[in-house]
Amino acid sequence: MKSVGARLPRYDGLGHVVGQTMFVDDYRVPDGNLWARALRSPSHSARIVRLDTRKAAELPGVHAIVTHRDVPKNVYGHLEALGVPADEPLLAEDEVRYKGQPIAVVAADSEAAAQAAVEAMELELEEREPLFDIRKSFDPDAPQIHHWGNWYPYFGGPDEGPDRRKVRKGDIDKAFADADTIVQGVYRPGAIEHCPTETQVSLVVPEASGRLVIHSCTQAMYFSMGVVAAHLDLPLNKLKFVGGTVGGGFGGKVDSAAETLSALLALKTEQAVKWRWTRDEEFLASSTRAPWHIEIADAVTSDGWILGRKTLTLHDSGAYARFSPYGLTKHAFHHSGAYTIPNIHFDGYVVFSNRVPTTAMRGFGVTSVSFAVETHMTRIATVLGIDPYELRLKNANRLGDTTPNGVRLPDPSTVATIQAVAGAAGVELAPEYAAMTSEPRSGPLLPPHLEAQQQNGSSPNG
Amino acid sequence: MRITVNGKLRELICDPLQPLLYLLREELDVTGPKAGCQQGSCGTCTVLVDGEPRRSCLLPSVLADGTEVTTIEGLGDAARLDTLQAAFHHYYGAQCGFCTPGMIMAAHALLERNPSPTRSEIQTALGGHICRCTGYVKILDAIEAVVRGETFDESDRTPHPDPAEHEVAMKGAPA
Repeated sequence: MKSVGARLPRYDGLGHVVGQTMFVDDYRVPDGNLWARALRSPSHSARIVRLDTRKAAELPGVHAIVTHRDVPKNVYGHLEALGVPADEPLLAEDEVRYKGQPIAVVAADSEAAAQAAVEAMELELEEREPLFDIRKSFDPDAPQIHHWGNWYPYFGGPDEGPDRRKVRKGDIDKAFADADTIVQGVYRPGAIEHCPTETQVSLVVPEASGRLVIHSCTQAMYFSMGVVAAHLDLPLNKLKFVGGTVGGGFGGKVDSAAETLSALLALKTEQAVKWRWTRDEEFLASSTRAPWHIEIADAVTSDGWILGRKTLTLHDSGAYARFSPYGLTKHAFHHSGAYTIPNIHFDGYVVFSNRVPTTAMRGFGVTSVSFAVETHMTRIATVLGIDPYELRLKNANRLGDTTPNGVRLPDPSTVATIQAVAGAAGVELAPEYAAMTSEPRSGPLLPPHLEAQQQNGSSPNG
Repeated sequence: MRITVNGKLRELICDPLQPLLYLLREELDVTGPKAGCQQGSCGTCTVLVDGEPRRSCLLPSVLADGTEVTTIEGLGDAARLDTLQAAFHHYYGAQCGFCTPGMIMAAHALLERNPSPTRSEIQTALGGHICRCTGYVKILDAIEAVVRGETFDESDRTPHPDPAEHEVAMKGAPA
């Protein structure tokens, strides 16, 4: 524990300040490399009627063009290891589901030659009505986005239907019947582009043995390795990943972006291939943080206890599932915030839209619900005319309290955190709130509605 | 064209409208300046042209003909850090490191012009530089330390501990 509180030099700090850190685009190949560019869907939703790359292939400097037919396993799913079917094509087949979706990629002598080839590809689309507002996804006449339907259908945990993530705890009907007031709120945090200063980039260099050396800016080396191996149907010993130096990721470099197609082009041409996305491409086609739609209704008492919470969450996954079901699951675990609520009714759906697929960003699934919950706590305080710090401290998780999933918290820090926030904000708490600790509830802090859950928790290790 | 890069005279034939950034990176393999936004908004490509900070992604190479260009590689190396580089290292002014070369070059130009800027003047001078990791406070701290004349002795750092040296049982960890 010598490191705690110590000022340690960053292991990569010197390289950063002298400009010697090697980001992917800084690597040079002795004989040079080919350059990749992608034909991307100009449409949010369309059927591909015709794609003709013959003219493009004849342009000077063009070495290879690949479409979905060239990918050994084109359709992949990030959750395949959990038994969820694959749903996302590496290159679009007969339809496109978001603007910017890759349809074909080319390797050429220069980026300009590659771009000229992209522009010479003939693409004919039959446009369809796109869907962006996930609140309309459940309407009978809503456009159908995904071949699974408009929402993810593979949850199916114990006591749970396949169509949603459910959390149930206590007796929600009794909580609402006993409430003095119901406080409702709708929260809609928007999509955010991670916007790393380093755009998506990869460099793939074939070795004489046939192994591919893949320089990647991924945040998730072994995961990306698995993605490339799956799509290209290669054993892992045919891939050597070089990475760990990421010019900003923030979650946006978890889903693989450039490696797989660069690798395919390198295999096809037997030459090194670099693919670096332009800033335009980064904004158009890289994944974003999801937009969310969160509805909360809380059963509260006039003196500031939260008896129960009903939540409906719609998580906009974009055109494909990727890791969104995992993000929604984390969201579900955290949806009571740092507070104890003994009666819970949560339904969450992963909903498809014609947006670019969405992904992790700094607290996958949790930041959205934390925003909603904390805003809602202040709303409750306002409705009841109670100090927002006191409302939070009263309902704060303490030893013996349980999460929505019934896990007993071994070391909750909510009380100390809120007291520290009050201190930092120059707010003076009433003496009984300033003296509060995380010790197990008793006396006025253990009202009858919290007694049952104190007996029913399970330990965090199961 | 003739261009002096980090003290070394280079003569080459190039597309006059090609941005200086690509001339440096692709033709001269000087990769310290980075392509960030590629449209002059983020500052990662900043180099000094005759001492003035310039967004090299927007500067046509022909306008750098006959000039002296300094990039991050021209300031110091790991064994002989420039004061600003030492300050950025000491004060953790780099997170992912991608914006760092541009930040340091802009700060260098500022201190050449005004050796004792206020924090607000530093903020203004670096206003067009984006650190998407949002490490701005540490960057400003590092530059202010240089302004104060601080020197950077790395001996106050705790070296990486030997993991075998201390065995501390973690509270609540499975045995």
